Amino acid sequence: MPPQITRLVYLTLAIVAVYFLARGFLVPASFGQYGWYRGNALKEIAALPIRYAGRAACAECHEEAAERLAKGSHQGLSCEACHGPGAAHAEDPAEAAPKPENSRFCLRCHEFNLSRPAKFPQVEADDHFPDQKCAECHAPHSPMQAPEDASKRNAKPVKK
Amino acid sequence: MFGFFARAAVGAWAVSVLRPVKAVAQKVAQSPVARSAREAIQKAFVTAQTPTGYDVHAHHWAMAIDVERCIGCGLCAEACKGENHVLKEPFYFRTWIERYIIRKPDPRSFELRGETLVDSPNGGIGGFPPSPVRKENILRTFFVPKLCNQCEHSPCIQACPVGATFDSPDGAVLIDKEYCIGCGFCVQACPYGCRFLNPVTKTAEKCTLCYHRITHGLRPACVEVCPTGARIFGDLKDGNEKNPVRVFIENNKVQVLKPHLGTEPRVYYAGLDKEVR
Ligand code: HEC
Ligand code: HEC
Ligand code: HEC
Ligand code: HEC
Repeated sequence: MPPQITRLVYLTLAIVAVYFLARGFLVPASFGQYGWYRGNALKEIAALPIRYAGRAACAECHEEAAERLAKGSHQGLSCEACHGPGAAHAEDPAEAAPKPENSRFCLRCHEFNLSRPAKFPQVEADDHFPDQKCAECHAPHSPMQAPEDASKRNAKPVKK
Repeated sequence: MFGFFARAAVGAWAVSVLRPVKAVAQKVAQSPVARSAREAIQKAFVTAQTPTGYDVHAHHWAMAIDVERCIGCGLCAEACKGENHVLKEPFYFRTWIERYIIRKPDPRSFELRGETLVDSPNGGIGGFPPSPVRKENILRTFFVPKLCNQCEHSPCIQACPVGATFDSPDGAVLIDKEYCIGCGFCVQACPYGCRFLNPVTKTAEKCTLCYHRITHGLRPACVEVCPTGARIFGDLKDGNEKNPVRVFIENNKVQVLKPHLGTEPRVYYAGLDKEVR
């Protein structure tokens, strides 16, 4: 073979070798583990912090509240739908417990809106005892019952 | 003819020479020294924790939505933002609720239904204001929760020039933040408008089905807080009779969004109106 061709062949081989070497270093170890992507990406996404602990977690410690909730009309609700994210509290109960924010939070679900399914219980906020707090007549964990706390109980009873 | 054989011979020779070169290069790259060097380099850029005991191949997640149950409280959209640290501005959403108001047709026309109004103030977070159309003029009105459809044949995956978005074996379409270059092609490719570019990280973002929750045995945040059971979530590979998606799909006539596009979404809707897109 003529020398200039030989040199060219060596050069080509060197470039190819460098390519494979560089590729070996640059392609992440987990690439191709599941498909044409980095397998570790799945693990990284799965490792993000959790903020909502889930209903089962709350029920582990707050049995009473969970049982009460399970018997009333709010049985389908998760604790955190009303209380807000509670993973930090569930991990360490000394952490501030999540509490429903303000008096309007019941209306968020129950305020009358035409687009809501007609069978969903709704109230016109202006007509449904606007001067009182919902919790005066409805126990939040069992809303068709009056609250047990006498100081909160109102003269008006709720149908049983 | 001769030219062809000559080229084939040279090609065969090149391959036979290159093969050992590649083998040597790979051996060097796989050597313990090289491996630890590579791991050190990669560790500088990424941190990964393995969820223990989670087998990606043992699951196939799916979501179902019962439109007739949605009350538009917006808790799902709010919980999603909290759980996934989505930016608070009202135009970044991984899930949101749309309100549809279909007017009655003009009585003089021969149409079956009037104009359709769609709104989604702050994605439904904080609820919806009273209907802007009077009750007498409304033919039908309802809420539709929207999220990434986790398509079987995702246009976004095809559009991504760097392979940063992919279909994981357990049925979630995910984005590798380290690979994403923020070109925005996927945002344009998604026919459901489910993606956006995060202006802080400059990468694309979308619903992951709360991948960090489902891999740890929890439900997605939106499903967790939904008060009426309008969102149903489960594992199609779970043969249990009480598996919520299975029960739902057996008991309802389900439909997907924009079926004509052939994207084969894995989010199933029951009770959809033809106006919903
Ligand atoms: C590890 C057990 C544990 C778990 C799990 C837990 N809590 Fe608590 N929680 C407690 C304890 C103990 C207290 C009382 C703390 C105190 O009084 O300072 C408390 C207090 C509370 C309070 C305030 C009670 C009051 O009278 O002020 C609320 C509300 C609450 N928890 C809600 C929740 C919710 C919602 C969850 C689920 C996300 C949850 N908790 C999960 C242990 C737990
Ligand atoms: C309908 C919304 C709602 C749901 C669902 C709900 N809570 Fe509550 N919860 C409230 C309200 C409102 C209060 C009263 C807060 C106050 O008095 O400041 C409360 C108070 C509490 C308290 C304080 C002690 C008490 O009983 O008054 C605890 C503990 C508690 N909730 C736990 C739970 C747990 C556990 C769940 C889930 C099993 C749950 N809650 C579900 C609305 C709710
Ligand atoms: C996250 C949404 C949500 C919030 C917040 C909420 N509720 Fe409810 N409520 C529901 C659902 C869902 C039902 C069950 C409706 C059904 O049975 O179809 C319900 C049922 C009720 C009922 C029973 C209606 C009936 O006819 O059975 C009352 C009363 C009620 N809620 C009062 C309240 C009060 C008071 C508050 C505030 C402490 C509140 N709700 C907060 C979702 C909510
Ligand atoms: C003065 C007591 C009182 C107060 C305050 C009160 N309610 Fe009621 N509420 C009642 C009574 C009584 C009923 C039962 C009405 C009936 O029998 O149909 C009721 C029924 C309901 C229902 C069921 C409606 C239906 O169609 O089934 C909902 C939902 C409700 N209330 C939500 C609320 C909310 C939200 C608030 C706070 C804004 C609130 N209530 C404040 C006494 C009260």
